[in-house]
Amino acid sequence: MIEKRSPMRKVLIYIALIVITVVTLLPLVWMLSASLKLDKDVFSVPIQWIPKNPEWANYSKIWEKINFGLYTFNSVKLTVIITLIQVLTSSFAAYGFAKCKFKGRDTLFLAYVATIAIPWQVYMLPQFIEMRMLGLTNSHLGYILMQSFIALGVFLMRQAYMSIPDELLEAARIDGLNEYGIFFRIILPLSGPSLATLTIFSFTTIWNDFMGPMIYFSPDRLKTIQLGIRLFMGQYSSEFGLIMAASVVALVPVAIMFLFFQRYFVQGVATTGLKG
Amino acid sequence: MAKNNNNVPAGRRKGMKLGTRNTLVGLSFIAPNFIGFFIFILIPVAFSFVLSFMKWDGFTEMTFVGLDNFVKIFKDQYFVQALGRTLYYAVFAVTLTTFAALGLAVLVNKGIKAVGFFRSSIFFPYVASTVAVGAVWRQLFMKDYGPINAFLQLIGIENPPGWLASSKWALPAVIIVTVWKSMGYFMIVYLGALQNIPQELEEASALDGASKFQHFWRITFPMLAPSTFFVVLMNIINSFKAFDLIWVLTEGGPGQATTLMVNYIYNNGFNTTTPKYGIASAAAMVLFAIVAIITIVQFRVEKRTSN
Amino acid sequence: MKMKKILALALSGLLAASVLAACTPAATPSAPPASTPASAPASTGGAEISGKLTFSVWDLDATGYLQKLVDAFKVEYPEVEVEIIDTPSADYTNKLGVDLNGGAAADVILIKDSDTSYSLAQKGQLEDLTPYVEAEGIDLGMFNGLASNFNFDGKQVGMPFRTDYYVLYYNKDIFDAAGVDYPTNDMTWAEFEEVAKKITTGTGNDKVYGAHFHTWQALVENWGVQDGKNTIMGPDYEFMRAPYEMVLRMQNEDKTIQDFGTLKAGNIHYSGAFQSGNVGMMPMGTWYAATHMQKVDAGETDVTNWGIATIPHAEGTPAGWTVGSVTPIAINAASQNKDAAWAFVNFATTSAAGTAVVADAGQIPGSVNDELRAIITNLEGMPEGAAEAYAVENITLDRPYVEYVNEVNKMLEEEHGLIMIGELDMDGFIEKITQRSAEIQAG
Repeated sequence: MIEKRSPMRKVLIYIALIVITVVTLLPLVWMLSASLKLDKDVFSVPIQWIPKNPEWANYSKIWEKINFGLYTFNSVKLTVIITLIQVLTSSFAAYGFAKCKFKGRDTLFLAYVATIAIPWQVYMLPQFIEMRMLGLTNSHLGYILMQSFIALGVFLMRQAYMSIPDELLEAARIDGLNEYGIFFRIILPLSGPSLATLTIFSFTTIWNDFMGPMIYFSPDRLKTIQLGIRLFMGQYSSEFGLIMAASVVALVPVAIMFLFFQRYFVQGVATTGLKG
Repeated sequence: MAKNNNNVPAGRRKGMKLGTRNTLVGLSFIAPNFIGFFIFILIPVAFSFVLSFMKWDGFTEMTFVGLDNFVKIFKDQYFVQALGRTLYYAVFAVTLTTFAALGLAVLVNKGIKAVGFFRSSIFFPYVASTVAVGAVWRQLFMKDYGPINAFLQLIGIENPPGWLASSKWALPAVIIVTVWKSMGYFMIVYLGALQNIPQELEEASALDGASKFQHFWRITFPMLAPSTFFVVLMNIINSFKAFDLIWVLTEGGPGQATTLMVNYIYNNGFNTTTPKYGIASAAAMVLFAIVAIITIVQFRVEKRTSN
Repeated sequence: MKMKKILALALSGLLAASVLAACTPAATPSAPPASTPASAPASTGGAEISGKLTFSVWDLDATGYLQKLVDAFKVEYPEVEVEIIDTPSADYTNKLGVDLNGGAAADVILIKDSDTSYSLAQKGQLEDLTPYVEAEGIDLGMFNGLASNFNFDGKQVGMPFRTDYYVLYYNKDIFDAAGVDYPTNDMTWAEFEEVAKKITTGTGNDKVYGAHFHTWQALVENWGVQDGKNTIMGPDYEFMRAPYEMVLRMQNEDKTIQDFGTLKAGNIHYSGAFQSGNVGMMPMGTWYAATHMQKVDAGETDVTNWGIATIPHAEGTPAGWTVGSVTPIAINAASQNKDAAWAFVNFATTSAAGTAVVADAGQIPGSVNDELRAIITNLEGMPEGAAEAYAVENITLDRPYVEYVNEVNKMLEEEHGLIMIGELDMDGFIEKITQRSAEIQAG
């Protein structure tokens, strides 16, 4: 994108962007910096952004104090499985809603849309009782099932598919492809960015979910990293350095995931927001 | 069915009506997700709908009370206050997030270097865990030692606000964190849309002598309408569902200064030893009705403007 | 078109509802048939009881003796497997509620906010232990009168596992540096306030605060109910005035305690405040002594020269009167293995071995007697004079176990926050809590 504009303006834009970026990242930098300090230095005035004697031991300490290995494993396992199921079934269903014409389609879709606006806290108990009847509480399977089919996935993917022109599909039908063929050979290859969007969305939501695991997982062997941090914060609430170190550790996997997908992601969000 | 390489006629050959066949194909796409959705989401949601007409403590027998729960909540000043605060929160969070996102997208879209870096940095708060972010912001907002007030004092503000420790400033503080956390996501929505707008348009209007600013409001902004629709809708839904962030920041306090609707629902349903699920569900239905009305109005407006 | 869609949606909702209705009866976990264990359980030897048990606790890292308790139990009952369920303390009571309502709670339950036992008992979620107590021939008198708190309508729904009461912790180094005498066991609140002024020094990061009040409303309210004449249920709340005036004076005028707003927003834990060494005196529960000893032992605090005194008292209240609470242990009425659960509860609350584990950890068992008290005050690391400080005359319960106590307590927490950050004045505060308390108790 080449634009003709005065260098002065460009400099202003850069300055504005840098200021905004710094302000945005400041809380995260503060967190990183605090994670390397002794508790008593965390609030020293003026703020020391780069600790003089970084307290790396904070990181090894949290490893001793909470079962980070197990919790991280659980979190990774749940996040990956749920994200996979959600992305696959949602995109499949979204195709049905966007491009197949059949009776009752819009009604079914409205049922999805209706649940988007209902906060989880409202149906948490009925859901919990139902899961209990099915024998699915205190198991990863139960949590996977309750998180995999949320309506927003279908909604986002449908938005994206609506922007794919019908003429393209008609052409494919004329070429003799059936609906499944169209989905796998034409739609899927085209929807990489949207899939990336949903992947990040789903990954972030599940990775950061704390209420769900809190209600559903009682035994230690099932717990996830956010729950671990919450446990940790309760017991060591005065040890800011450690809490910040734990928070940094919990942030890393999502950060990697994001950096990995970000290029697709940008395009993905764009297509989701724009239909036609 | 998958063996059919031909399209429509194939179905007919098998003696199946076109409509039936289409329905089956459509359903086969939807089924894997819908079955799970129906069992694990829709049934509990429908159950809470039913609950809004019941009196239930979550354990012992439930009794049908008709519209009593609705009458009760509208007579409850704490519900009405929570509703008011939710609207206040929603108006500011939605407006600020939308404008911040749009402004950032325009800036990032100016053909600058290191666009990836800026984009990622601004987006990053969105992926950060709420539990961790809440802990950080609580420290940042501290009245006496917090970095924010230290900065405000540095630039000459003598009595900086108490933020989370003040009824007046707690909700604005929550709004600030909300905007900070979500603007990156919506910036990218706008960014994608901006990149799809042909460059020639700007050049053409530049030839017509329109200023950049005029051009933006007259040409670019209307072209972004679908994105704006999406951004505003998602933001409205998010603000009416806001809970986690507030919970880790203030738990609804001080007093009830940051007790929004979902918090009210949570307090009546869970954060108590004598749960009133009927009341909680009725409040949820009111919330749902508001979101539904706003959504429908928005859809109407969108249709009218796009025609 | 729109109409049709809405109708269709309503229909699909109805469909879902009807499916649901079919399974609703089962969805309401059948309240346990109020029956007692059909055959009164015979007092059994350890070998005959077997099976799996779950035991729900909070913040296990900080309450490590519970693991020891389970280990000691297993020595006597080798056939019983006990799994500890740990929940963050901040979420414990909420999760317990969801678990009990959803039928997923542990067999043996420690009740964190003991005032919730009333409503849990009302819903029939706690097993009536009376038959077990009778079969075992336990004299509930051993609990020093605490057991009757958990007897509702003739049903004993919990056993006092632990009891705690407020004492005054102090940092001897700060007193020595200021050349002030250590707090005595018969100090009044007025004296406390004066001493706090004398030992407050410094500014900014180096400030030493004379005292520390954690953010709980109990740390102010308790001194109002200390004389046993009033409870937090009101209906008249004038008795709250004196303690609030004192704490606000210390916070706003004397500046001898850290500001409530800062403590609350920073989520600052009282143990951190005391262990950092810039707090002279801290009223806190007896449970904290064990935590502090652990910290000293692990070399994680500089406050190694510390002491314990009896909590101060108001003029007119006798010295040695304090405020406390009880942590009951109960059996889930829906438990599948009640005999084993009882064996555990019995072991934890009445057996010499079980209570000794609790006392060894510096916690006061519900059935405390001179012998157990001696174990606690003679613990390695317990400061000198602890025995005298712990020997109190009377313990008033911080909250009565009656209907609506939980709601009133929540309301007080909200208003406590507002008066402490200066958004309510004293008269406004008293008026507001009087009015809201009446509203809540009207149902």
